[in-house]
Amino acid sequence: MNEAAPGFSDEQLAKARSGDTAALGSLIQAHQRSVYSLALRMLGTRELAEDLTQEVFMQLNGSLKSMASNTHLQFWLRKVTTYRAIDQLRRRSRIEMTPLDDEAPLVSTADGGDPLLQRHLQRLLLELSPPARAVLLLRYQEDLDPIDIARTLDMPINTVKSHLKRSLEILRQRTPHPERSRCEDQST
Amino acid sequence: MSEDLESRLRAALRPVAPGDEFTRNLIARVTKDQGPEANARGARGRSSKPSAWWLSASMAASLLIAAGVQHHLQERRETQRGLEARRQVIEALRVTSQKLNLAYEVIKSESSPRADDEPGV
Repeated sequence: MNEAAPGFSDEQLAKARSGDTAALGSLIQAHQRSVYSLALRMLGTRELAEDLTQEVFMQLNGSLKSMASNTHLQFWLRKVTTYRAIDQLRRRSRIEMTPLDDEAPLVSTADGGDPLLQRHLQRLLLELSPPARAVLLLRYQEDLDPIDIARTLDMPINTVKSHLKRSLEILRQRTPHPERSRCEDQST
Repeated sequence: MSEDLESRLRAALRPVAPGDEFTRNLIARVTKDQGPEANARGARGRSSKPSAWWLSASMAASLLIAAGVQHHLQERRETQRGLEARRQVIEALRVTSQKLNLAYEVIKSESSPRADDEPGV
């Protein structure tokens, strides 16, 4: 998903650049889900995610004039959000995280998926190293291909691929397979 | 299995929206910073930046010049003090020399034999 965020056009970006506050409001509404979700899943708590989202959009306000297009804007937002989140995680080697059960929904269950399994995957994600977490989020939340992930994180493509491979392996090993679980349930 | 896990990950990592109140506050905060007043503030900030730079540069230059002038004046004062001391030493030597000459003349005149003092006259 490399295309610009739906509901926001380059024309609106031009308006926001020229100081149109309504267009800037639309820009924030169009891009805040992506920024907030990256922040939330990188940092693990709603409070930290909200702070980071605000910081990113305040920084964007200062750099808005240099945004050439909506695609460029989206690339910039992802890059700044993941970089800032990785920085925060490195500064505080261990953030005191609020238990996920007390948090606002980190996962969407609109597709009728198993919410417990999705929450389990969320927990596992927070156990990965910050760069590996960022790679996985850009791949499966933002739907970027490895080349775009490498560009966003200034990371060699092979590093991106090895992060993906290793992280998936960890998740696979630690995630119960539904079919297998069902068989185990039946056998007991 | 891999595809299954990947599709489950995609489902688990679907973007979520922050609360409405947060969004409202965020938009208010960011747009406030970009409003006409902020633009004017920004413009003032931009226009005042060079003057602030010039102010600090001119202050630094003034300090340098003042330090230079101070150094020059001090050197001049020291030179004058040295010249004055030299003049005083020369004057002292001159006075001493005069006194010595005078003393010498007195001694010489006293020690030279007078005609009426000559024995046998």
